[in-house]
Amino acid sequence: MSAVIDKVETGTSGTPRHQMAEECFTLDAGLPTGPVSVEPYRSPEFFERERERVFKRAWLFAGRIEQLPEHDSYFVKEILICKASVLITRSKEGKVQAFHNVCSHRGNLVVNKPCGRAERHVCRYHNWAYGGKDGALLGIPDQKHFFDVDKKSLGLTPIACDVWEGFIFVNFQKQPEVTLAEFLGPFGTTYAGIPYFNLDETIVIQADFKANWKLIADAFAEPYHVPSLHPATLAPGFAHPEDNRYARPLSARAHGIHRHFSAYGNPHYVPAPTSKVESLVYIQDTGGVLGGDASENAQGVMNHPAINPTKNPNWSADVTWIFPNFNIDYSTGGFWIHEFWPVAYNRTQWTLRIFIPKTASIRHRLQLEHYASRWAEVVLEDVTNCERIQLGLESGAKDHMVLQDAEMLIRHNLWVLDKWMKADKVADALK
Amino acid sequence: MSAVTDKATSLPAGFEALEAFVPYWVHETNDKRREARSTAQMEDIQAFYDTVVPMAEQGIAYLEQYELGKMPADAERLFKLLLAMNHAAIAVEMHGAPRAFDSTWPSAVRITQGPWPHGGRI
Repeated sequence: MSAVIDKVETGTSGTPRHQMAEECFTLDAGLPTGPVSVEPYRSPEFFERERERVFKRAWLFAGRIEQLPEHDSYFVKEILICKASVLITRSKEGKVQAFHNVCSHRGNLVVNKPCGRAERHVCRYHNWAYGGKDGALLGIPDQKHFFDVDKKSLGLTPIACDVWEGFIFVNFQKQPEVTLAEFLGPFGTTYAGIPYFNLDETIVIQADFKANWKLIADAFAEPYHVPSLHPATLAPGFAHPEDNRYARPLSARAHGIHRHFSAYGNPHYVPAPTSKVESLVYIQDTGGVLGGDASENAQGVMNHPAINPTKNPNWSADVTWIFPNFNIDYSTGGFWIHEFWPVAYNRTQWTLRIFIPKTASIRHRLQLEHYASRWAEVVLEDVTNCERIQLGLESGAKDHMVLQDAEMLIRHNLWVLDKWMKADKVADALK
Repeated sequence: MSAVTDKATSLPAGFEALEAFVPYWVHETNDKRREARSTAQMEDIQAFYDTVVPMAEQGIAYLEQYELGKMPADAERLFKLLLAMNHAAIAVEMHGAPRAFDSTWPSAVRITQGPWPHGGRI
Protein backbone atom coordinates (compact mmCIF):
# COMPACT_ATOMS: atom_id res chain seq x y z
CA MET A 1 0.00 0.00 0.00
CA SER A 2 1.75 3.14 -1.12
CA ALA A 3 -0.74 5.93 -0.87
CA VAL A 4 -0.73 7.53 2.52
CA ILE A 5 -3.77 9.59 1.79
CA ASP A 6 -6.66 8.28 -0.21
CA LYS A 7 -8.63 10.53 -2.50
CA VAL A 8 -5.84 13.02 -2.83
CA GLU A 9 -7.08 14.55 -6.05
CA THR A 10 -9.05 17.41 -4.65
CA GLY A 11 -9.65 19.54 -1.66
CA THR A 12 -13.18 20.41 -2.63
CA SER A 13 -14.95 17.24 -3.71
CA GLY A 14 -15.12 15.82 -0.23
CA THR A 15 -17.84 17.89 1.34
CA PRO A 16 -17.38 18.22 5.07
CA ARG A 17 -20.48 16.91 6.82
CA HIS A 18 -20.16 19.70 9.23
CA GLN A 19 -20.31 23.15 7.71
CA MET A 20 -18.27 25.28 10.02
CA ALA A 21 -18.92 28.96 10.29
CA GLU A 22 -15.28 29.67 10.93
CA GLU A 23 -12.43 29.16 8.49
CA CYS A 24 -11.64 25.59 7.49
CA PHE A 25 -7.99 24.92 8.29
CA THR A 26 -7.86 21.77 6.18
CA LEU A 27 -9.22 23.29 2.98
CA ASP A 28 -7.22 26.48 3.49
CA ALA A 29 -4.07 24.34 3.63
CA GLY A 30 -5.02 22.77 0.30
CA LEU A 31 -5.48 19.35 1.80
CA PRO A 32 -8.02 16.69 0.92
CA THR A 33 -10.63 15.69 3.47
CA GLY A 34 -10.97 11.93 3.02
CA PRO A 35 -9.95 9.15 5.39
CA VAL A 36 -6.21 8.45 5.67
CA SER A 37 -4.35 5.15 5.67
CA VAL A 38 -2.92 3.88 8.96
CA GLU A 39 -0.19 1.83 7.26
CA PRO A 40 2.46 4.48 8.06
CA TYR A 41 1.87 3.74 11.75
CA ARG A 42 2.03 -0.05 11.69
CA SER A 43 4.03 -1.24 8.71
CA PRO A 44 7.65 -2.37 9.35
CA GLU A 45 8.32 -2.00 5.61
CA PHE A 46 7.03 1.56 5.63
CA PHE A 47 9.27 2.28 8.60
CA GLU A 48 12.40 1.08 6.78
CA ARG A 49 11.55 3.27 3.81
CA GLU A 50 10.87 6.17 6.18
CA ARG A 51 14.40 5.77 7.56
CA GLU A 52 15.93 6.02 4.08
CA ARG A 53 13.60 8.50 2.40
CA VAL A 54 12.87 10.84 5.30
CA PHE A 55 15.38 10.65 8.14
CA LYS A 56 18.46 10.16 5.97
CA ARG A 57 17.44 13.07 3.69
CA ALA A 58 15.76 15.65 5.95
CA TRP A 59 17.45 18.19 8.20
CA LEU A 60 17.10 16.89 11.75
CA PHE A 61 17.20 18.81 15.02
CA ALA A 62 20.27 17.87 17.04
CA GLY A 63 20.57 20.46 19.82
CA ARG A 64 20.69 24.10 20.92
CA ILE A 65 23.70 26.39 20.73
CA GLU A 66 23.54 26.84 24.53
CA GLN A 67 24.89 23.27 24.66
CA LEU A 68 28.11 24.70 23.17
CA PRO A 69 28.78 27.64 25.49
CA GLU A 70 32.48 28.11 24.60
CA HIS A 71 34.92 27.23 21.86
CA ASP A 72 35.92 23.56 22.14
CA SER A 73 32.61 22.75 23.81
CA TYR A 74 31.06 19.58 22.48
CA PHE A 75 28.13 17.24 22.94
CA VAL A 76 27.27 13.85 21.51
CA LYS A 77 23.85 13.24 19.98
CA GLU A 78 22.81 9.65 19.35
CA ILE A 79 20.45 9.47 16.37
CA LEU A 80 19.30 5.87 16.40
CA ILE A 81 17.08 6.07 13.33
CA CYS A 82 20.19 6.88 11.28
CA LYS A 83 22.33 4.53 13.38
CA ALA A 84 24.63 7.45 14.09
CA SER A 85 26.57 8.84 17.01
CA VAL A 86 27.08 12.51 16.18
CA LEU A 87 29.80 14.66 17.74
CA ILE A 88 28.84 18.33 17.63
CA THR A 89 31.52 20.89 18.42
CA ARG A 90 32.18 24.59 18.45
CA SER A 91 35.52 25.45 16.86
CA LYS A 92 37.96 28.13 18.02
CA GLU A 93 36.47 30.33 15.31
CA GLY A 94 33.01 29.79 16.77
CA LYS A 95 31.81 27.51 13.98
CA VAL A 96 29.35 24.78 14.91
CA GLN A 97 30.39 21.51 13.25
CA ALA A 98 29.13 17.95 13.30
CA PHE A 99 31.06 14.73 12.74
CA HIS A 100 30.47 11.05 12.90
CA ASN A 101 31.83 10.12 16.32
CA VAL A 102 33.80 7.30 14.74
CA CYS A 103 37.55 6.70 14.71
CA SER A 104 39.28 6.44 11.33
CA HIS A 105 41.49 3.64 12.57
CA ARG A 106 39.20 0.73 13.45
CA GLY A 107 35.80 2.37 13.67
CA ASN A 108 35.41 2.69 17.42
CA LEU A 109 33.32 5.48 18.96
CA VAL A 110 35.71 8.26 19.93
CA VAL A 111 33.88 10.34 22.55
CA ASN A 112 32.00 8.49 25.24
CA LYS A 113 30.90 11.38 27.43
CA PRO A 114 27.59 13.15 26.64
CA CYS A 115 29.14 16.63 26.70
CA GLY A 116 32.13 18.64 27.81
CA ARG A 117 34.96 20.80 26.60
CA ALA A 118 38.11 19.50 24.94
CA GLU A 119 40.67 20.68 22.42
CA ARG A 120 41.39 17.12 21.36
CA HIS A 121 39.20 14.05 21.20
CA VAL A 122 41.14 10.86 21.75
CA CYS A 123 39.90 7.41 20.81
CA ARG A 124 40.88 5.30 23.81
CA TYR A 125 41.33 2.14 21.76
CA HIS A 126 44.77 3.19 20.39
CA ASN A 127 44.90 6.88 21.35
CA TRP A 128 44.29 8.32 17.92
CA ALA A 129 43.65 12.01 18.51
CA TYR A 130 41.35 14.38 16.63
CA GLY A 131 40.69 18.07 16.91
CA GLY A 132 41.73 21.43 15.63
CA LYS A 133 39.96 22.63 12.58
CA ASP A 134 37.41 20.39 10.88
CA GLY A 135 37.99 17.32 13.05
CA ALA A 136 41.47 16.71 11.67
CA LEU A 137 43.50 13.70 12.74
CA LEU A 138 46.23 15.18 14.95
CA GLY A 139 48.29 12.17 15.82
CA ILE A 140 48.80 8.45 15.34
CA PRO A 141 50.81 6.62 18.01
CA ASP A 142 53.56 4.50 16.47
CA GLN A 143 52.78 5.95 13.07
CA LYS A 144 55.96 4.58 11.47
CA HIS A 145 54.57 1.07 11.51
CA PHE A 146 51.53 1.98 9.41
CA PHE A 147 51.71 1.66 5.62
CA ASP A 148 51.51 4.84 3.54
CA VAL A 149 49.06 6.39 5.90
CA ASP A 150 47.68 9.77 4.81
CA LYS A 151 46.71 11.64 7.97
CA LYS A 152 45.01 14.41 6.01
CA SER A 153 42.41 12.03 4.68
CA LEU A 154 41.76 10.42 8.07
CA GLY A 155 39.98 13.17 9.99
CA LEU A 156 36.57 12.62 11.54
CA THR A 157 33.90 12.20 8.88
CA PRO A 158 31.90 15.43 8.71
CA ILE A 159 28.12 15.58 8.82
CA ALA A 160 26.33 18.55 7.27
CA CYS A 161 25.36 20.93 10.04
CA ASP A 162 23.71 24.34 10.17
CA VAL A 163 22.08 26.57 12.75
CA TRP A 164 18.74 28.38 12.58
CA GLU A 165 17.76 30.70 15.43
CA GLY A 166 20.07 28.83 17.80
CA PHE A 167 18.66 25.42 16.83
CA ILE A 168 21.33 23.07 15.46
CA PHE A 169 20.30 20.78 12.60
CA VAL A 170 22.21 17.99 10.88
CA ASN A 171 21.71 16.24 7.56
CA PHE A 172 22.99 12.74 6.79
CA GLN A 173 23.22 13.18 3.05
CA LYS A 174 26.93 13.45 2.15
CA GLN A 175 26.08 16.48 0.05
CA PRO A 176 22.64 17.67 1.20
CA GLU A 177 20.39 18.23 -1.77
CA VAL A 178 18.85 21.28 -0.11
CA THR A 179 20.19 23.77 2.42
CA LEU A 180 18.66 24.13 5.87
CA ALA A 181 17.16 27.46 4.76
CA GLU A 182 15.55 25.76 1.76
CA PHE A 183 14.34 22.92 3.93
CA LEU A 184 12.75 25.28 6.45
CA GLY A 185 11.31 27.37 3.61
CA PRO A 186 8.55 29.79 4.63
CA PHE A 187 8.61 28.47 8.19
CA GLY A 188 12.20 29.61 8.61
CA THR A 189 11.45 33.16 7.51
CA THR A 190 8.08 33.50 9.26
CA TYR A 191 9.43 32.29 12.62
CA ALA A 192 12.75 34.15 12.46
CA GLY A 193 13.49 36.75 15.11
CA ILE A 194 11.47 35.37 18.00
CA PRO A 195 13.14 36.44 21.25
CA TYR A 196 13.99 33.23 23.10
CA PHE A 197 14.56 33.48 26.84
CA ASN A 198 15.12 31.28 29.89
CA LEU A 199 17.24 28.93 27.81
CA ASP A 200 19.77 28.01 30.47
CA GLU A 201 17.55 25.98 32.80
CA THR A 202 15.48 23.04 31.72
CA ILE A 203 13.06 20.43 32.91
CA VAL A 204 13.57 17.26 30.86
CA ILE A 205 10.94 14.56 30.59
CA GLN A 206 11.65 11.42 28.59
CA ALA A 207 9.85 8.26 27.63
CA ASP A 208 10.86 5.17 25.71
CA PHE A 209 7.63 3.45 24.77
CA LYS A 210 5.86 1.07 22.44
CA ALA A 211 4.23 3.13 19.72
CA ASN A 212 5.05 4.60 16.34
CA TRP A 213 6.79 7.97 16.52
CA LYS A 214 4.00 9.71 14.62
CA LEU A 215 1.41 8.77 17.23
CA ILE A 216 3.08 10.91 19.87
CA ALA A 217 3.76 13.68 17.36
CA ASP A 218 0.07 13.54 16.48
CA ALA A 219 -0.86 13.82 20.16
CA PHE A 220 0.74 17.25 20.30
CA ALA A 221 -0.63 18.29 16.93
CA GLU A 222 -4.27 18.59 17.89
CA PRO A 223 -6.11 19.93 20.94
CA TYR A 224 -9.36 18.09 20.14
CA HIS A 225 -8.38 15.34 22.61
CA VAL A 226 -7.59 17.71 25.46
CA PRO A 227 -11.06 17.76 27.10
CA SER A 228 -11.38 13.97 26.96
CA LEU A 229 -7.86 12.61 27.53
CA HIS A 230 -6.59 15.36 29.82
CA PRO A 231 -9.74 16.28 31.77
CA ALA A 232 -7.94 17.34 34.94
CA THR A 233 -4.42 18.17 33.84
CA LEU A 234 -5.11 20.41 30.84
CA ALA A 235 -8.80 20.80 30.02
CA PRO A 236 -9.58 23.49 32.61
CA GLY A 237 -6.95 25.77 31.10
CA PHE A 238 -7.29 24.88 27.42
CA ALA A 239 -11.03 24.42 26.89
CA HIS A 240 -14.23 25.96 28.15
CA PRO A 241 -17.65 24.29 28.57
CA GLU A 242 -19.43 27.07 26.65
CA ASP A 243 -16.81 29.14 24.83
CA ASN A 244 -14.71 26.34 23.38
CA ARG A 245 -15.89 22.94 24.45
CA TYR A 246 -13.63 20.98 22.11
CA ALA A 247 -10.58 23.24 22.44
CA ARG A 248 -10.80 24.23 18.77
CA PRO A 249 -7.53 25.86 17.62
CA LEU A 250 -7.46 29.59 17.11
CA SER A 251 -5.51 29.02 13.92
CA ALA A 252 -3.87 26.09 12.13
CA ARG A 253 -1.75 26.56 9.05
CA ALA A 254 0.80 24.89 6.83
CA HIS A 255 4.15 26.63 6.33
CA GLY A 256 5.62 24.74 3.40
CA ILE A 257 6.33 21.24 4.74
CA HIS A 258 6.03 22.46 8.33
CA ARG A 259 2.97 23.60 10.28
CA HIS A 260 1.53 25.20 13.38
CA PHE A 261 -1.61 25.52 15.43
CA SER A 262 -2.50 28.14 18.03
CA ALA A 263 -4.09 26.79 21.17
CA TYR A 264 -6.98 28.38 22.99
CA GLY A 265 -6.45 29.41 26.59
CA ASN A 266 -9.45 29.65 28.88
CA PRO A 267 -9.39 33.30 30.01
CA HIS A 268 -11.68 32.50 32.91
CA TYR A 269 -9.37 29.88 34.35
CA VAL A 270 -8.52 30.18 38.01
CA PRO A 271 -7.70 27.26 40.27
CA ALA A 272 -10.77 25.88 42.01
CA PRO A 273 -11.12 26.99 45.64
CA THR A 274 -10.43 23.40 46.63
CA SER A 275 -7.15 23.46 44.68
CA LYS A 276 -5.23 24.91 47.58
CA VAL A 277 -1.74 23.95 46.49
CA GLU A 278 -2.19 25.16 42.94
CA SER A 279 -3.45 28.49 44.30
CA LEU A 280 -0.55 28.65 46.71
CA VAL A 281 2.24 28.16 44.23
CA TYR A 282 1.08 29.35 40.83
CA ILE A 283 1.89 32.48 38.92
CA GLN A 284 -1.30 33.20 37.04
CA ASP A 285 -1.18 34.30 33.44
CA THR A 286 -3.47 34.59 30.46
CA GLY A 287 -5.01 31.20 30.88
CA GLY A 288 -2.15 28.87 30.13
CA VAL A 289 -1.85 26.51 33.06
CA LEU A 290 1.49 25.34 31.74
CA GLY A 291 3.47 28.00 33.44
CA GLY A 292 3.62 31.72 33.36
CA ASP A 293 6.48 34.13 33.18
CA ALA A 294 6.04 37.21 35.27
CA SER A 295 8.69 39.11 33.36
CA GLU A 296 8.15 41.06 30.18
CA ASN A 297 9.91 38.37 28.16
CA ALA A 298 6.68 36.70 27.16
CA GLN A 299 5.32 39.93 25.72
CA GLY A 300 8.12 39.99 23.15
CA VAL A 301 7.09 36.54 21.99
CA MET A 302 3.41 37.41 21.87
CA ASN A 303 4.10 40.55 19.82
CA HIS A 304 5.89 38.58 17.10
CA PRO A 305 3.66 38.35 14.00
CA ALA A 306 4.16 34.57 13.63
CA ILE A 307 2.95 33.84 17.14
CA ASN A 308 -0.82 33.56 17.57
CA PRO A 309 -1.13 35.04 14.07
CA THR A 310 -4.78 36.06 14.53
CA LYS A 311 -3.74 37.78 17.79
CA ASN A 312 -6.69 36.20 19.53
CA PRO A 313 -6.75 37.42 23.14
CA ASN A 314 -7.69 33.94 24.39
CA TRP A 315 -4.36 32.49 23.33
CA SER A 316 -2.27 30.11 25.39
CA ALA A 317 0.39 28.50 23.20
CA ASP A 318 1.54 27.85 19.65
CA VAL A 319 2.61 24.39 18.63
CA THR A 320 4.97 24.36 15.66
CA TRP A 321 5.86 21.08 14.05
CA ILE A 322 9.03 21.12 12.00
CA PHE A 323 9.03 18.12 9.69
CA PRO A 324 9.68 15.37 10.41
CA ASN A 325 10.04 14.96 14.19
CA PHE A 326 10.62 18.25 15.99
CA ASN A 327 8.32 20.70 17.77
CA ILE A 328 9.11 24.17 19.05
CA ASP A 329 6.26 25.42 21.19
CA TYR A 330 5.75 28.97 22.36
CA SER A 331 3.55 29.94 25.28
CA THR A 332 2.70 32.74 27.63
CA GLY A 333 5.31 31.31 29.95
CA GLY A 334 8.16 30.44 27.62
CA PHE A 335 9.23 27.61 25.35
CA TRP A 336 9.43 23.90 25.17
CA ILE A 337 10.64 21.51 22.48
CA HIS A 338 9.75 17.94 21.61
CA GLU A 339 11.93 15.40 19.84
CA PHE A 340 10.08 12.33 18.61
CA TRP A 341 12.79 9.81 17.69
CA PRO A 342 11.77 6.60 15.95
CA VAL A 343 13.47 3.43 17.16
CA ALA A 344 11.30 0.85 15.43
CA TYR A 345 7.95 0.98 13.68
CA ASN A 346 6.35 0.45 17.09
CA ARG A 347 8.89 2.05 19.42
CA THR A 348 9.74 5.69 20.09
CA GLN A 349 12.10 7.65 22.27
CA TRP A 350 10.61 11.00 23.14
CA THR A 351 12.35 13.90 24.83
CA LEU A 352 10.50 16.97 26.07
CA ARG A 353 12.74 19.84 27.11
CA ILE A 354 10.97 22.67 28.92
CA PHE A 355 12.92 25.90 29.26
CA ILE A 356 12.35 27.52 32.63
CA PRO A 357 13.58 30.59 34.48
CA LYS A 358 16.26 30.22 37.13
CA THR A 359 14.72 29.44 40.49
CA ALA A 360 14.19 32.79 42.18
CA SER A 361 12.61 31.92 45.52
CA ILE A 362 11.16 29.14 47.65
CA ARG A 363 7.67 29.74 46.31
CA HIS A 364 8.96 29.85 42.74
CA ARG A 365 10.70 26.52 43.26
CA LEU A 366 7.43 25.03 44.52
CA GLN A 367 5.68 26.32 41.42
CA LEU A 368 8.34 24.76 39.18
CA GLU A 369 7.81 21.42 40.95
CA HIS A 370 4.08 21.67 40.34
CA TYR A 371 4.73 22.65 36.73
CA ALA A 372 7.07 19.69 36.14
CA SER A 373 4.65 17.34 37.88
CA ARG A 374 1.68 18.48 35.83
CA TRP A 375 3.72 18.09 32.65
CA ALA A 376 4.79 14.58 33.62
CA GLU A 377 1.18 13.68 34.24
CA VAL A 378 0.12 15.04 30.83
CA VAL A 379 2.92 13.05 29.26
CA LEU A 380 1.86 9.92 31.15
CA GLU A 381 -1.66 10.31 29.80
CA ASP A 382 -0.36 10.68 26.24
CA VAL A 383 2.19 7.86 26.37
CA THR A 384 -0.29 5.41 27.85
CA ASN A 385 -2.76 6.43 25.18
CA CYS A 386 -0.28 6.07 22.31
CA GLU A 387 0.58 2.52 23.35
CA ARG A 388 -3.12 1.67 23.27
CA ILE A 389 -3.52 3.21 19.79
CA GLN A 390 -0.58 1.17 18.52
CA LEU A 391 -2.27 -2.02 19.71
CA GLY A 392 -5.51 -0.96 18.09
CA LEU A 393 -3.89 -0.16 14.76
CA GLU A 394 -1.79 -3.31 14.68
CA SER A 395 -4.89 -5.42 15.28
CA GLY A 396 -5.79 -4.75 11.68
CA ALA A 397 -9.34 -3.86 12.61
CA LYS A 398 -9.11 -0.53 10.81
CA ASP A 399 -7.32 0.41 7.63
CA HIS A 400 -8.09 4.11 7.80
CA MET A 401 -8.63 6.86 10.29
CA VAL A 402 -10.94 9.83 9.88
CA LEU A 403 -9.64 13.24 10.79
CA GLN A 404 -11.60 16.37 11.63
CA ASP A 405 -10.57 19.92 10.81
CA ALA A 406 -8.82 20.52 14.14
CA GLU A 407 -6.60 17.55 13.28
CA MET A 408 -5.31 19.29 10.16
CA LEU A 409 -1.65 19.08 11.26
CA ILE A 410 -1.80 15.27 11.32
CA ARG A 411 -3.25 15.21 7.82
CA HIS A 412 -0.64 17.69 6.64
CA ASN A 413 2.17 15.59 8.10
CA LEU A 414 0.93 12.45 6.35
CA TRP A 415 0.56 14.43 3.14
CA VAL A 416 4.13 15.74 3.35
CA LEU A 417 5.44 12.33 4.44
CA ASP A 418 3.85 10.76 1.38
CA LYS A 419 5.66 13.25 -0.84
CA TRP A 420 9.01 12.43 0.80
CA MET A 421 8.38 8.71 0.38
CA LYS A 422 7.63 9.12 -3.33
CA ALA A 423 9.95 11.92 -4.44
CA ASP A 424 13.33 10.83 -5.75
CA LYS A 425 14.64 14.37 -5.37
CA VAL A 426 14.35 16.25 -2.09
CA ALA A 427 13.52 19.43 -3.98
CA ASP A 428 10.40 17.69 -5.28
CA ALA A 429 9.43 16.70 -1.75
CA LEU A 430 9.52 20.34 -0.71
CA LYS A 431 7.02 21.46 -3.33
CA MET B 1 22.66 14.67 53.47
CA SER B 2 18.96 14.52 53.67
CA ALA B 3 18.61 10.81 54.11
CA VAL B 4 15.59 9.73 56.01
CA THR B 5 16.24 9.83 59.72
CA ASP B 6 14.52 8.27 62.64
CA LYS B 7 15.22 11.20 64.91
CA ALA B 8 12.12 12.90 66.20
CA THR B 9 13.78 16.24 65.57
CA SER B 10 14.57 15.79 61.89
CA LEU B 11 12.42 18.82 61.01
CA PRO B 12 12.76 22.37 62.35
CA ALA B 13 10.88 23.22 65.57
CA GLY B 14 7.23 23.93 64.93
CA PHE B 15 6.88 21.34 62.18
CA GLU B 16 6.67 18.23 64.36
CA ALA B 17 3.25 17.40 62.92
CA LEU B 18 4.95 16.57 59.61
CA GLU B 19 7.51 14.23 61.12
CA ALA B 20 5.51 11.08 60.38
CA PHE B 21 5.58 11.88 56.65
CA VAL B 22 9.35 12.27 56.37
CA PRO B 23 10.21 8.60 55.74
CA TYR B 24 7.85 8.21 52.79
CA TRP B 25 7.78 11.66 51.19
CA VAL B 26 11.30 13.10 51.46
CA HIS B 27 13.26 12.36 48.28
CA GLU B 28 16.20 13.80 46.38
CA THR B 29 14.63 14.22 42.97
CA ASN B 30 11.50 15.38 41.26
CA ASP B 31 11.09 11.96 39.66
CA LYS B 32 11.34 10.11 42.99
CA ARG B 33 8.68 12.32 44.53
CA ARG B 34 6.47 11.61 41.54
CA GLU B 35 7.06 7.90 41.93
CA ALA B 36 6.20 8.07 45.64
CA ARG B 37 2.85 9.70 44.87
CA SER B 38 2.11 7.44 41.91
CA THR B 39 2.56 4.28 43.94
CA ALA B 40 0.93 5.44 47.19
CA GLN B 41 -2.56 4.63 48.41
CA MET B 42 -5.01 7.49 48.04
CA GLU B 43 -5.78 7.65 51.76
CA ASP B 44 -2.08 8.04 52.54
CA ILE B 45 -1.74 10.81 49.95
CA GLN B 46 -4.81 12.52 51.39
CA ALA B 47 -3.47 12.26 54.95
CA PHE B 48 -0.19 13.89 53.91
CA TYR B 49 -2.01 16.57 51.93
CA ASP B 50 -4.40 17.38 54.78
CA THR B 51 -1.52 17.80 57.20
CA VAL B 52 1.01 19.64 55.04
CA VAL B 53 -1.23 22.13 53.23
CA PRO B 54 -2.31 24.10 56.33
CA MET B 55 1.37 24.40 57.31
CA ALA B 56 2.65 25.37 53.86
CA GLU B 57 2.68 29.15 54.29
CA GLN B 58 4.41 28.79 57.64
CA GLY B 59 6.92 26.46 56.00
CA ILE B 60 7.62 28.84 53.11
CA ALA B 61 8.16 31.70 55.55
CA TYR B 62 10.56 29.59 57.59
CA LEU B 63 12.57 28.50 54.53
CA GLU B 64 12.83 32.01 53.14
CA GLN B 65 15.44 32.86 55.77
CA TYR B 66 17.90 30.63 53.89
CA GLU B 67 19.60 30.91 50.55
CA LEU B 68 18.40 28.39 47.99
CA GLY B 69 20.68 25.37 47.89
CA LYS B 70 22.33 26.30 51.22
CA MET B 71 20.07 25.13 53.99
CA PRO B 72 20.70 23.14 57.15
CA ALA B 73 19.56 19.53 56.92
CA ASP B 74 16.36 20.01 58.90
CA ALA B 75 15.24 22.94 56.74
CA GLU B 76 16.15 21.08 53.57
CA ARG B 77 14.01 18.16 54.72
CA LEU B 78 11.08 20.51 55.26
CA PHE B 79 11.69 21.98 51.79
CA LYS B 80 11.54 18.53 50.23
CA LEU B 81 8.28 17.82 52.04
CA LEU B 82 6.81 21.00 50.56
CA LEU B 83 8.06 19.92 47.13
CA ALA B 84 6.32 16.57 47.65
CA MET B 85 3.15 18.48 48.58
CA ASN B 86 2.85 19.47 44.89
CA HIS B 87 2.76 15.84 43.92
CA ALA B 88 0.12 15.06 46.52
CA ALA B 89 -1.85 17.95 45.01
CA ILE B 90 -1.76 16.34 41.55
CA ALA B 91 -3.55 13.34 43.08
CA VAL B 92 -5.92 15.23 45.37
CA GLU B 93 -6.72 18.33 43.31
CA MET B 94 -6.63 16.90 39.78
CA HIS B 95 -7.31 13.20 39.59
CA GLY B 96 -8.93 12.20 42.86
CA ALA B 97 -6.65 9.20 42.44
CA PRO B 98 -2.91 8.60 42.80
CA ARG B 99 -2.32 9.12 39.09
CA ALA B 100 -4.06 9.73 35.77
CA PHE B 101 -6.99 7.47 34.98
CA ASP B 102 -6.16 4.40 32.87
CA SER B 103 -2.44 5.13 33.14
CA THR B 104 -0.02 2.26 33.47
CA TRP B 105 2.60 1.81 36.15
CA PRO B 106 5.53 1.25 36.11
CA SER B 107 5.62 3.94 33.50
CA ALA B 108 7.94 4.63 30.60
CA VAL B 109 7.81 8.31 31.55
CA ARG B 110 10.67 9.74 33.60
CA ILE B 111 11.48 13.27 34.73
CA THR B 112 15.16 12.96 33.87
CA GLN B 113 16.01 16.52 34.89
CA GLY B 114 14.08 18.51 37.45
CA PRO B 115 14.29 22.17 38.49
CA TRP B 116 17.16 23.28 40.73
CA PRO B 117 17.56 22.66 43.64
CA HIS B 118 16.51 19.10 44.49
CA GLY B 119 15.19 18.37 41.02
CA GLY B 120 17.90 15.88 40.22
CA ARG B 121 19.30 14.45 37.02
CA ILE B 122 19.03 10.89 35.82
